[in-house]
Amino acid sequence: MTGSVATAVRPHPPTLRIGGWLSLPLRARSLVVGGSLLVVILVVAVLTLTLGELGIALGNIVPTVQGAGTRRDEIVLLAFRGPRLVVGLAAGAALAVSGALFQTVTRNPLGSPDVIGITSGASAGAAAFGLLWPGILPLPAGALVGAFVAMALVFIGTGSGFSSPARMLLVGIGVSAMSLAFVQWVLVRAGREQATVLASYLNGSLAARDWDHATTIVTAVVVLVPCALLLSRRLQLIEMGDEQADALGARSATTRTLTILVAIGLATAAVSVAGPIAFIALVAPQIARRVTRSAGPNILASALMGAFLLGLADLVTQQLPIDVTLPVGVVTALLGGIYLGFLLIAQWNKGSL
Amino acid sequence: MASDAPHAGASRLAARNLRLAYDKRVVVDDLSIDLPDGGFTIIVGPNACGKSTLLKALSRTLKPESGTVLLGGQPIDSYRSKAVARQLAMLPQSPIAPEAIAVRDLVARGRYPHQGLFQQWSHEDELAVTDALSSTGCADLSERFVSELSGGQRQRVWIAMILAQQTDLVLLDEPTTFLDIAHQYEVLELCARLHAEGRTLVAVLHDLNQAARYATHLVVMKDGRVVASGMPGDILTADLVESVFGLPCVIIPDPVTGTPMVVPRAAPLAG
Repeated sequence: MTGSVATAVRPHPPTLRIGGWLSLPLRARSLVVGGSLLVVILVVAVLTLTLGELGIALGNIVPTVQGAGTRRDEIVLLAFRGPRLVVGLAAGAALAVSGALFQTVTRNPLGSPDVIGITSGASAGAAAFGLLWPGILPLPAGALVGAFVAMALVFIGTGSGFSSPARMLLVGIGVSAMSLAFVQWVLVRAGREQATVLASYLNGSLAARDWDHATTIVTAVVVLVPCALLLSRRLQLIEMGDEQADALGARSATTRTLTILVAIGLATAAVSVAGPIAFIALVAPQIARRVTRSAGPNILASALMGAFLLGLADLVTQQLPIDVTLPVGVVTALLGGIYLGFLLIAQWNKGSL
Repeated sequence: MASDAPHAGASRLAARNLRLAYDKRVVVDDLSIDLPDGGFTIIVGPNACGKSTLLKALSRTLKPESGTVLLGGQPIDSYRSKAVARQLAMLPQSPIAPEAIAVRDLVARGRYPHQGLFQQWSHEDELAVTDALSSTGCADLSERFVSELSGGQRQRVWIAMILAQQTDLVLLDEPTTFLDIAHQYEVLELCARLHAEGRTLVAVLHDLNQAARYATHLVVMKDGRVVASGMPGDILTADLVESVFGLPCVIIPDPVTGTPMVVPRAAPLAG
């Protein structure tokens, strides 16, 4: 018999089946959104490589990537715009996934690594090991230490670990403020020249990135985003409350701890290569959720959205017709600030703030 | 001859010498209980008597300080968490509906304990969700957003979600709270039907008359202890209600069902 067993059930949602071992539900809207994001990311990438004085002519991109381009194009691709583009896209994805994870475990759209103290903790770490005690640790490792110290302070400060989302946010805001005060103190103490170097890093910048930066952040994304995907089904249940998640067998406490570790890892990796770029982590998952119209952490859609937003912000930064070169963090902060205001007003009107 | 089950004769879900506490504040101490198989057990008692706490322990969402919850004669924490969730479903007092989720997607989350990493959607999942939606009268709502629904509809959707778990033990923590009286009875009738279909139900309720009407086994708690348990008609007396709730009352037969009905004499003033 070749016919399959007839069932009266209309498959809902459409399901991807491979042999007997894989069956994943698919959402048409998420697929369309994901596909469209890939296309616009490609457009941003091509524009980043082609625009401006140094731009590689459109027709020369493919030969240059294959190693058959002119010497000039090769230098632009390999030394200037290539690593910067890769770092931007990967850092955007890492920040966005980190934000999606935090927003889910805190059940709050404001629960992002920016708000909760990770990025400012990383800045404080970078400031400490970059200026205060130079030579002990490289800057990225210093940022990692700072991020972990900040999270440890949040963990202790809540009095109940990471189990109460509201307390986590409140304590996180406090830790964040303290970290920034520490950064200011270090900057004031440091010499002017050193402070200038650090200041550009602290704004979040993609200028002068090299392939080492790219390797760091791409490795983090390749390792940690699949971890986030593995956790995302249990995170969907945590959205319904810890008790309901536990009742369904999702072990909320373990899931929450693992998730926070993955989110810290992603945010810190991004901050260590690109500085504390503001608002991508906050905004990207929220926009992803709205365009896919899907509950749950939306890991992949958030990652693509983050890559797109940071790629776009950096394109704007590079091509702005003004004399000064802004760090990309200033552009994201400007756009994100507007969005944050909108979000706060919306929550205020809903009475949930 | 020794029986091979450690608690032969005990019911499928039972507790032995439970001590339950929140941050060292002991709420329940040395409580043992058997929830009759195939029964509709309703737990009542004054506020803060530990009834919801007991339900949490029975569904292993709260870890006891000491004592054991037994599921099928085995300590409940000896099972893997998904294995427990395939036998026992629990609806907490206030589950949170995720933002922007359709009814069908929410109900589908009840299938989690039956799914694996690579097997996230099977025909059984499909059937279970469809069944759960139709048996709670939510089939027409399946494409709507949960946030657009009324309180009564939303509660039916939550019940559909735990039905999709396809367990024969179902625990409900105050399923009628926040509903108007018509929707309270709608939910209780639904529970009664689920019980009639063969499931074992355990619910915490506030309203004594509703409890007496629907329970096949009534458990009355006070200060973390079980004060009385049995058929509502056998145990629900005016003396019991006065000693447990401090409310002087008379008990008359419910004119519709004949079950005991509590009619307060006069509300005693505090102080």
